[in-house]
Amino acid sequence: MGDKADVWQGTLALMVLKTLETMGPLHGYGVARRIEQTSRDLLSVNYGTLYPALLKLEQEGYIASEWGQSDNNRKAKYYKLTRAGRRKLAQEAREWEQTTAILARFLAPGEESS
Amino acid sequence: MRRLRAWVVRLGAVFSRERRDRELTAELEGHLRMQIDDNLRAGMAPEEARRQALIKLGGVEQTKENYRDRRGVPVLETLFQDSRYALRMLRKNPGFTAAAGLTLALGIGANAAIFTLTYAVILKSLPVPNPRQLVRYTFREPGVTDLSLSGPAYDALRRHQTVDTDLLAWSQEQFAIEEKGSVSRVDGALISGNGFRVLELHPFLGRVFGDRDDVTGGGPNGYQALLGYDYWKQHFHESRSALGQSLSVNGRAVTVIGVLPPGFDGLIAGMRTDLVMPLAFEEVIHAPNPMRHHAGSFWLTVMGRLKPGESVQAARANLRATEATVREEADPTHHFLSGFFAPFRMGVESGRSGRSFLKVDFQQPLVALEVLVGLLLLLCCANTALLVLARVSSRTREFALRSALGASRARLFRQVLLEVGLLAGGGLLGGTWFGWAAARSLVSMLASIGQPPPIDVTPRAAIIAFTAAISVFSALAAGLWPALRAVRVAPGPVLKQGGPVSSAKGLGRWIVPAQVAVSVTLLFAASLLCRSFLRLRLENAGFRTAGVTMADVDLSAAKPSRKQAGRDALQMVEALENAPGVEAATVLSAPPIHDGWAAGHYFSLGKQGAVHSDMHTWPESVSPGYFATMGTRILEGRGLARADQDTGRACVLSASAAAYFFPGEDALGRFVYSGGEDPSKDGKDLDPGNACRVVGVSEDARFLSLREASPRMLYSLAEGDEWGTNVSLAVRSRTAGLAAAAIRDAVRRVTAAAATPAIFSFNDLVKQHLRQERMLVGLSACFAAIALLLTALGLYALLARDVLMRTREIGVRLALGARPGDALGMVIWQGFRLVLAGTAVGLAAALAVAKLLGSLLFGVGPADPVTLAAVVAVLLAVAFAASYVPGRRATRVDPMVALRYE
Repeated sequence: MGDKADVWQGTLALMVLKTLETMGPLHGYGVARRIEQTSRDLLSVNYGTLYPALLKLEQEGYIASEWGQSDNNRKAKYYKLTRAGRRKLAQEAREWEQTTAILARFLAPGEESS
Repeated sequence: MRRLRAWVVRLGAVFSRERRDRELTAELEGHLRMQIDDNLRAGMAPEEARRQALIKLGGVEQTKENYRDRRGVPVLETLFQDSRYALRMLRKNPGFTAAAGLTLALGIGANAAIFTLTYAVILKSLPVPNPRQLVRYTFREPGVTDLSLSGPAYDALRRHQTVDTDLLAWSQEQFAIEEKGSVSRVDGALISGNGFRVLELHPFLGRVFGDRDDVTGGGPNGYQALLGYDYWKQHFHESRSALGQSLSVNGRAVTVIGVLPPGFDGLIAGMRTDLVMPLAFEEVIHAPNPMRHHAGSFWLTVMGRLKPGESVQAARANLRATEATVREEADPTHHFLSGFFAPFRMGVESGRSGRSFLKVDFQQPLVALEVLVGLLLLLCCANTALLVLARVSSRTREFALRSALGASRARLFRQVLLEVGLLAGGGLLGGTWFGWAAARSLVSMLASIGQPPPIDVTPRAAIIAFTAAISVFSALAAGLWPALRAVRVAPGPVLKQGGPVSSAKGLGRWIVPAQVAVSVTLLFAASLLCRSFLRLRLENAGFRTAGVTMADVDLSAAKPSRKQAGRDALQMVEALENAPGVEAATVLSAPPIHDGWAAGHYFSLGKQGAVHSDMHTWPESVSPGYFATMGTRILEGRGLARADQDTGRACVLSASAAAYFFPGEDALGRFVYSGGEDPSKDGKDLDPGNACRVVGVSEDARFLSLREASPRMLYSLAEGDEWGTNVSLAVRSRTAGLAAAAIRDAVRRVTAAAATPAIFSFNDLVKQHLRQERMLVGLSACFAAIALLLTALGLYALLARDVLMRTREIGVRLALGARPGDALGMVIWQGFRLVLAGTAVGLAAALAVAKLLGSLLFGVGPADPVTLAAVVAVLLAVAFAASYVPGRRATRVDPMVALRYE
C-alpha cells in the first residue's frame, strides 16, 4: 500500500463533491470505490477516513443524506449534493485549477531565464 | 458562516448520541457487507473476504472513534460525563453536600441581599429615557444635607441656565384624599407643568400634564390629577374607567387624566408616589400660606435635562457664572439668601438616580455592610474549602486509581473543581432565593412607621449577574486548592499502602487562622456598632420616650383659616388633657427627630451691654403640658403655665441656650428678643413686643437628631398661628391604646372633617430615626454569629480529624505514662495556637475596618480597647469549646486498643 499516495483531507472533500455530482446519490462504499477507480487505483482511500469527511460536509450543509436500498438489496445511507454543495464544488474546482496552473507555470522548464 | 452552522449541528449532536451511534453502526455494517459481497464475487473465500474488508476500512472501532470526534463536541461530552459522575458523588455523601452547599448558599445569599439593597438605593437609575442626561440643582452648606430650593430660586435658575433643555420642579407631599366619607392620607408629589417633558416620561394610560395644567385653579376644568400605577391597581382595580373620574383631594374636586407607568416611583428614592398634581396645586395643600413665591421657603427639588453634547461640568460653569444674579432675583430683600442661608451654595450634580435621602442615610452603612458581607463570603469559602479538602483526602485512593488507569491530571483537577462548581451552582440557586427574601425583609425592617419605602428588590439582570459572578468566585476560592491537592496524589505509594495517607493538616494550618482573623474582624465591627447603637438608644436625649404617643393631624380637608387651625389645635390639647388615662398632652410646632428642623434669629443683652445674637436657636411653640409630656426636666425656675398667656410672653431656655445668651449670668427673669429678619438691628431694636421673659431653664434635648448635639431651644406657649393645616400632638398616658383612642376622639370632636390622624409612639419614631443603625447592628451581629459558628465548626473538624489520625500516637503516649489531662491539654493547646495566630492578624484587619466605620460610630472610638478585649475573650472561649470535644475524645483513647493496631 505504501506506493500508493494517501489522500489528504482538503482534496478528499473536493473529490467527494465531484463524485456525487457525476454519479448522483451514492452510499459511502460507492464513493470510496469510485474515487479509487477514477484515480485508476493510484490513490488508495483508507475507507475509514471517508466517513468523518462525509460527516463534515454534511454538517456544513454541502451534502445531505438519507437511508435507502443498495443495488444488491442492502440498507445503506445515500449521500447527495445540495445546492450549496454544487456552488462549493464549482468554486473549489476553479481555485484548484488556478493553483495547478500557477504551479505548472513555475515548474515548466526554461521559464526562469526569460 | 458554514463553520458556525457546523458547530450548531455538532452541539445538537451532543444530545442525540445514542441514536447517532446506532446509525453509524448500521452505516458501517452496510459498508462492510457491500465490500464483502464484492470480495466474494472477486473469488475470495468468505473468511478472507471479511478480513480484507476490515483491513480496507481501517478498523471499525477506530473509524467510529474518529467519526465521533468529528460528530459532537468531545470536550463537552467528557464534561457531561464528569458532571454526571460528580453528581453521583455528591448524592452519595448527602451530609457533605448539604453542609458545603448550605455554607456557600449562605455566603452567596448574604452578598446577594446586601447587593440588592445597594443596587436599589445607590446604583439604580430613574426609569426614564437617557437618565444620564438628567442633572439636579442642589443648595447646600458644605458637609450638610442638601436643602431644596425656593420657588423664586427655581424661576430664576430656569431663566438663566443655558445648558439644559428645561428645568422641572418637584415636591414630595402628602395629600388628603376623601373616599366614601373617610379621609386618608396619600403620598404623592407636585410637579411643574414642563416636568414630564423634561423627564420624557410617557403615561401608562391617558395623558400627563402639560404647561396648561399647571396654572392657578388648574385651568377651565379645575385641577387634573395623575395616579401612580400601584395606587391605580389597588384602588381602581386596573380599570380604564379611572380616567375622567373625580377625586376629592384636600377638599378640592380634581379629575384623573392619566396613570403613571409601572416602576416609576417619583424622583425621590424610597418615597411613594401614588398621586401627582401640578405644582400650582400647592395653593391648595399649603393653604392658607402658599409658598410658591416665598423667598424663604425651600421645598422644591429642581432637575434638568442636559442638551445633547452638554455635560455636568458645563452646567456647573454656567451656574457659577449666574449664581449671584440668580440669588439676587430669587431674594431681592436679601433676608434669606444673604442672611441665614448666606453660607449655602447652589450646585449641580448628576440626576441619574433622582434625589435620594435614603442614599444620604444609607450609602455609608451599605458600603460598610458590603465589606463585612464580603468577609463573610471569604469565610464561607474557607469552610467549604476545608470540607472539600477532607473529602479529597478521603478519596485519595480513588484519585490514585484513576490516575494509574490513565486519567490525565487535568481531568482529575477538573473533576474536583466540577464538584465544587456544582455545589456553588446549588449555592447560586439557594443564594438568589435567600438573598431576595432577605432583601425584602430588610426593606420592611427599614420602616417602623407607615408603609415600607418602595424599594424594588426583585432580582434584576445586574443583581443576577453579580450573584453569578460571586458564585464563580466562591467555586474557585473553595475548589482550587483541594483540586491541586488531588492532582498531586502519587498513585504508586497510595495504592501500595492501601489507605489514605494524606491529611488536611498542612492546609488547615492556614485556613483556620484565616477564619479566625475574619471572625475577629466581623465580631469587632459588630460589637462597635452595637455599643454605639446602645449609646444612642440609652443615652439621655432630653426626652423620656416611653409612654409617649404622637399624632400628625391633617386639617386641610376642613379648609380652616390659619387662625381657625390654631384654635382647633389648642382645643384638641385641652380635650386630650381631660381624657381618661392621659397624664399630659401638648401641641408641637416642629416635632423632634422628625426629619425637619427649625431655626430662628434671637438676641439678648448682657449685664455689661454685650449683645449675644444667634441665628440657630430652635423656637418651639408648645402647650403648658409640654415638659410633663416629653419628660424634659426643668433645671431652674419653672415650666410654662397657662397663666403666662395673659401676663405677656414667657419662655423656657434649654441649658445650652441659657449659657449662650447669658454666659456666666443668671438667665431667670431676663429677656430674649426675637431678631426679625435684619441682623443689623441686634441689640438696638428692643421692642418689648418682640421679647420674652425667661421663666425657666430646661435640660438639653437632642431635638434635631439623636446623633447630633442638642440645638439651643427656646420654648414658648403656642399662640395658634405657628402652623398651617398640619398639627403635631404628643400625649403621655398610661397605655398607648388609651392615648390613641383619646387622640382620635379629640380630633373627631374638634374638627370633624379632619383626616384620620397618623398615630405612632415616640419609641416608634426613635426606631424609625435609628433605622440605619438598627439595620447595621442587626446584620453585622448576624454576620458575626455566622462567622463564629463557621470558625468553631472548622476548628472542630480539623482537630477531630487530627485526633483520629493521631490515635496511635496518643495511645503510645498514654501507654508510656502520659495522663489523660496531658492529651486534653495537647489538643486544646493545638487549637489555641491556631486561634492566637489568627487573632493577631485579625486584630490588624479589625482596626482597619473599624476606621472605615468611623463616622457611623457614636460615642465609641474605632479602637475601643474594652471592645477589643471582649472580642478576643469571646474568640478564645469559642476556641476552647471547639477544641474541648475532640480533646475529650483524645483522653478516652484506650492505649491497648490503639497499640494493638501497631
